[in-house]
Amino acid sequence: MRKRPMRKELSFLRSGRVTAGAILVGIVLICALFAPLLAPHDPQEQNLITTLTPPAWSTGGDPTYLLGTDSLGRDVLSRLLYGARVAMTVAVAASLGAMLIGATLAHLAGYFGGKVDWLIGRAVDVWMSFPPVVLSLVLMTGLGAGISSVILAIVLVDWTRFCRVLRAEVLVTRRQDYVAAARLVGFSHWRTLTREILPATMPLLITLFSIEMGIAVIVEAILSFVGMSVGANQSAWGQMIADARQTIYESGWNLVLPMLAIFVTVLGFNLLGDGLRRTLDPRLAQAREL
Amino acid sequence: MTASMLEAKNLTVESRLADGCRLPVLSGISFALETGKVLGLVGESGAGKSMLGRTIAQLLPPGFSVSAGSLSFAGRDLVRMGAQARRQLLGREIAFIPQEPLGALNPVMTIGAQFGEHLSRLGIRAEKRRRDEAQVLLEAVHLPRAVQLLRQYPHELSGGMCQRVLIAMAFASRPKLVIADEPTTALDATIQARIIGLMGEMRDAYGAALVFITHDLRLAAKFCDEVMVLYAGRAVEKGETRDLLSAPLHPYTRCLQLAVPSLSAPDRDLFTLPGEMPGLARLAGLHGCRFARRCPNVGEICRNEEPKLSPVAPKREAACFRTEMTLDIKVPNQGIPAQPKLASPLLLVEALEKRYRSRRGLLARTELAAVDGVSFTVSENEFVGVVGESGSGKSTLAKLIIGLETPSSGRIELGGHDASDRSENARRRRLESAQMVFQDPQSALNPRRRVASIVTQVLEAAAPRLPASARQLRAEELLAEVGLSAELGARYPSQLSGGQKQRVNIARALCATPKLLIADEIVSGLDVSVQAQLIALLRRLRRELSFALLLISHDLAVVRKLCERVLVMWRGKIVEQGVTAEVFARPRHPYTRELIAAVPGE
Repeated sequence: MRKRPMRKELSFLRSGRVTAGAILVGIVLICALFAPLLAPHDPQEQNLITTLTPPAWSTGGDPTYLLGTDSLGRDVLSRLLYGARVAMTVAVAASLGAMLIGATLAHLAGYFGGKVDWLIGRAVDVWMSFPPVVLSLVLMTGLGAGISSVILAIVLVDWTRFCRVLRAEVLVTRRQDYVAAARLVGFSHWRTLTREILPATMPLLITLFSIEMGIAVIVEAILSFVGMSVGANQSAWGQMIADARQTIYESGWNLVLPMLAIFVTVLGFNLLGDGLRRTLDPRLAQAREL
Repeated sequence: MTASMLEAKNLTVESRLADGCRLPVLSGISFALETGKVLGLVGESGAGKSMLGRTIAQLLPPGFSVSAGSLSFAGRDLVRMGAQARRQLLGREIAFIPQEPLGALNPVMTIGAQFGEHLSRLGIRAEKRRRDEAQVLLEAVHLPRAVQLLRQYPHELSGGMCQRVLIAMAFASRPKLVIADEPTTALDATIQARIIGLMGEMRDAYGAALVFITHDLRLAAKFCDEVMVLYAGRAVEKGETRDLLSAPLHPYTRCLQLAVPSLSAPDRDLFTLPGEMPGLARLAGLHGCRFARRCPNVGEICRNEEPKLSPVAPKREAACFRTEMTLDIKVPNQGIPAQPKLASPLLLVEALEKRYRSRRGLLARTELAAVDGVSFTVSENEFVGVVGESGSGKSTLAKLIIGLETPSSGRIELGGHDASDRSENARRRRLESAQMVFQDPQSALNPRRRVASIVTQVLEAAAPRLPASARQLRAEELLAEVGLSAELGARYPSQLSGGQKQRVNIARALCATPKLLIADEIVSGLDVSVQAQLIALLRRLRRELSFALLLISHDLAVVRKLCERVLVMWRGKIVEQGVTAEVFARPRHPYTRELIAAVPGE
């Protein structure tokens, strides 16, 4: 009856939000992956003769420094590109970690129910009773500065987000007769979980993952702003903002550009996540079809 | 004076598809309904009966619109009426009773709040008067403790009570026209009978005209003055209920009638109407009579010309060229059913109990026995029915036997092994000899698996390394067994019709070649033609594969048709058991008698 111009699995590409988000994220990802090839300068190379050069298009700009230089004469464009590497590393690794812990516990809790559910549910409650900012600062103090500590802190703070939301979805799927039917044809618990329940929760998982990446980028920027992320020999967006504060009156560009980078990246992740939620959620998809 | 309350002339409703192309959903519908009369709209799902109801109530979904003809209510044109005037009519002079009572009530508002909102829309402002009025209306639909009820939320009431609340609300405005869209389909037979009686009472008390939409011919026979049979968006037959159902003129009506199992008439085979009703898209390219492809009386003329609904006898209209042949349609003989081997018991259930603890408040704990001391046996190749209303413990019994629930006490023996313990070994052994077919095919089939993968799930569990080709082969075999073509194997469940889904459901259970099949309400909620097809399928499979069936159903006629023995359950206990014909002809327990009396059309 219905026309099927595209395969069911690929239909989400038709959404404008998903396309826009994917393009933004894709650009940032390419910048991060190919930073050494794209960057015109070494991001740490100082040139104290040409400090605070404005971007190339404004008066006094220098075409060799496309987006100008900072107070130590380092190329802003190169620093932004390398900063994307840090942001993306943290976003992917931290979200993956939070998702693995959260999703595993959520599936166990929702599927087995009873005591397992109670135990995991209380653990999440206790965990969430700490304010996230306090918890991450405590963790960072304990773990010490560094990019792996940032990743670990985000994982330890944010796994509860996955656990809470996914558990509800697992519960709904668990009540479907086809899960009982799978057990009745002889599926083991493991096979039922991976073949029957996981495919149903996957859309939500992907959506949460995408939104979590945006959150991770912001958290990394905050922590590198206060100097708890990467060391001074690496460039990160938060660090660039912190550095540019001193010269805010001489060169506003140095402040605006890293902020813009963060803005675009987070916008991309959020658009992607929101779009995916709208297209992959069968309830919303049904409402649209009617 | 016999002025028509509702009159449709050549009404046509079209649906606009995504590519801009328009398809008629209803075409050329004409009828006139007088005050105080009940018009029944009958047909299979997809016939357009709900669409017609929604057109009258002005509740058409987006993309659908009336493209020709007229529909007038008490002399006013409903089609070309302004939105403002239409709102004035709806809920006041025209009321609507929906199919799913729970879905129609707001779960976060009390019954009283919803009732009050409706009454204030009707112009009753004073809070106290609204409460009094609501109480009077609830008492009129025989709901006890109306005052307390007004403070309750919809989920605290049963489906039958919710439906009664909706009926009370529908009649609150003293409407001139009430449209009831399958108001009893989701309810038990005993409650169904009460609701139908109640709607009749309300109609008499308020003098409203009623449009009653149903797929159940027996219900229509009991309740309607006039019946219009719809097929693929067209009226195929119209007339007074008694005439029409005692001597149908259109072959479709006749086939539907022959497909309905009866509780009291001499046992006969059911007519199985081949194929399915053509869908919207296929209708566009269809020439001739829309029913021609499935009609047993089809002739040359039917394939080339489309018959018009025209008067055949006094007050009778039919759209068929060969009405004189209709009554000659007979059910082909389907052979004698296989006989059970009574000597060898396959399933033995002894003093089985399942209690649930429910907590009320801090200290008070009550125990509820869902299954209370049940004992029975099922022999090899025997078909046994379990009947009773919802809440009688039928479904819990099925879950206990298959192992989805653990019994509180008692013994289950399956094929000579004890099946009541929870060990993994016992589970495997049990699943080798017993399988279950679930009630709701929508929920029982994983929407993300293809049909071929669903039916061979047993192989996936038993032999995960089996080559895909071997699995495909078995899938085709199974699909053929349940009468589906092999090409359906590549589809997803959402692309199948209700009957096809239920066949897939059965095929999956058959994959393990079980000795016992437990089927929970597998034919309820389906169209009569599909129901007859499934009954025929089960009987054929029994001959070919020889298995026993424990059929749980609230439809006594289906149980009579399929099963040799029947167990009647009431409040967790078996109150009566015996040979089906015997039990239904001479019921001993008062509850069995009540169940039988509730079946419409007997």
